[in-house]
Amino acid sequence: MKNKSIKLLALFLTLVFLSFGCGKDNSNDKSLKQIQAKGFFIVGLDDQFPPMGFRGQDNNEIIGFDIDLAKEAAKRLGVQVQFKPVAWDGIILSLNKGDIDAVWNGMTITDERKQKIEFSKPYLNNRQIIMVTLDSTLSTIEMLKGKKLGLQLGSSSETALNSKPEVVKQLKELKKYENNTLALMDLAAKRIDAVVVDEIVGRWNMAKKPGIYKVLSEDMGTELYGVGLRKNDITFKEALDKVLTEIKNDKAGEEISKKWFGENILLK
Amino acid sequence: MEQYIQYVLDSSVFILKGSILTIQLYFATILFSIPLGIVLALMKISKFKFLRIAIGFYTWVFRGTPLLLQLFFTYYGLAIIGINLPAFTAAALTFIINYSAYLTEIYRAGIESIDKGQYEASKALNMNYYQTMRRIILPQVIRRTIPPTCNEAITLVKDTALVVVIGMGDLLLSAKELFTRDFAITPFAIAAVVYLLMTTVIVYFFRKIEIKYSIYE
Repeated sequence: MKNKSIKLLALFLTLVFLSFGCGKDNSNDKSLKQIQAKGFFIVGLDDQFPPMGFRGQDNNEIIGFDIDLAKEAAKRLGVQVQFKPVAWDGIILSLNKGDIDAVWNGMTITDERKQKIEFSKPYLNNRQIIMVTLDSTLSTIEMLKGKKLGLQLGSSSETALNSKPEVVKQLKELKKYENNTLALMDLAAKRIDAVVVDEIVGRWNMAKKPGIYKVLSEDMGTELYGVGLRKNDITFKEALDKVLTEIKNDKAGEEISKKWFGENILLK
Repeated sequence: MEQYIQYVLDSSVFILKGSILTIQLYFATILFSIPLGIVLALMKISKFKFLRIAIGFYTWVFRGTPLLLQLFFTYYGLAIIGINLPAFTAAALTFIINYSAYLTEIYRAGIESIDKGQYEASKALNMNYYQTMRRIILPQVIRRTIPPTCNEAITLVKDTALVVVIGMGDLLLSAKELFTRDFAITPFAIAAVVYLLMTTVIVYFFRKIEIKYSIYE
């Protein structure tokens, strides 16, 4: 009996180690050719992430700033683009597994993500803002001491906050939500005191629901959005970078930006 | 290798910390929903038609909709109309109400499985309704319903993972946090082991009870 359980344990541990030790292969890069051959590439996204990618009011189509940008890029690459909703926490695994070809979803370029995937050139600036309710007395990061703070699990907001351990230590509680919308709902219900969120997302929510939230003048830092790609897909990255630069500098990019944000905020 | 073992250990400690909340929620649910299930089962077979219909409606709604949705509603939905429950209260309440609905039906079936002759015999011995139930019927019901109750108790362990949607730091959320930080599957493997250990304890516990109650057969 005991012997058997040890064997089982050994088997289990082997599986654990195997799951950890899977390495990457270095095949020759045919990524662009493959995409051109099949005629489309697949963008994976969290489809609950307005205004970058979300379900439209009237139908089931996914719309958003990143969606328009991806469609424009696909047009210039001479291929189609398909959008596939993926759970955000597993999105990097989906990318490396090959379920999707790109993560185009307001993805912040971070060092830890760079270890696993490649990024296109940045296309947007983003601040990590602190949102509170309109009647909140909070006005500085300092005042978060002893308060309850919320954010999206695995988001770059979490990374930004963790880069300030002195703030984290003094919090009463840090609540992590499946997505930003839930965190902001809980803020509106006053079960938490503040939410750290991407400025792009926060401002969108404020515009949608005026009279609930306000933004503190201090922020948790500035970062860049890029398109997440597989490390091996070098030719695809080069092609995408080229069309992205074109879009950023011509009329199409400006129009897309104005449509969603009212002004041209694309990086030059 | 040594580094990896250290990683597994650190992760395990972190995940075990998350499991404290899971265990708290588990006991809160079990302790309230089993007695509630028995009471509601008695109400469902009572001679008052209104009670029967009310309980029937209750089990229909709570067995007929996903627990996830109920959790969402209690936490986020009620907040919109001004009822601001703390996360643990909302979760415990939802789980108790949901599990009581299933247990009600289990115990009702258990009660109805007892032979009618036993009620008649109790009556012949001059026992009233309360005494009949307390001394004769319910002990047998408990004995007979141990296996299905054990099933529910096991399902509950895994259902507690749903509280992730209301931002509660349970076992699964802890594992998810490590997963999103390290992009490694190991935390999930650790979480699986912890869940498995918990269900093992539960199965063992129920087997003991079953042996203890077998004297009634």
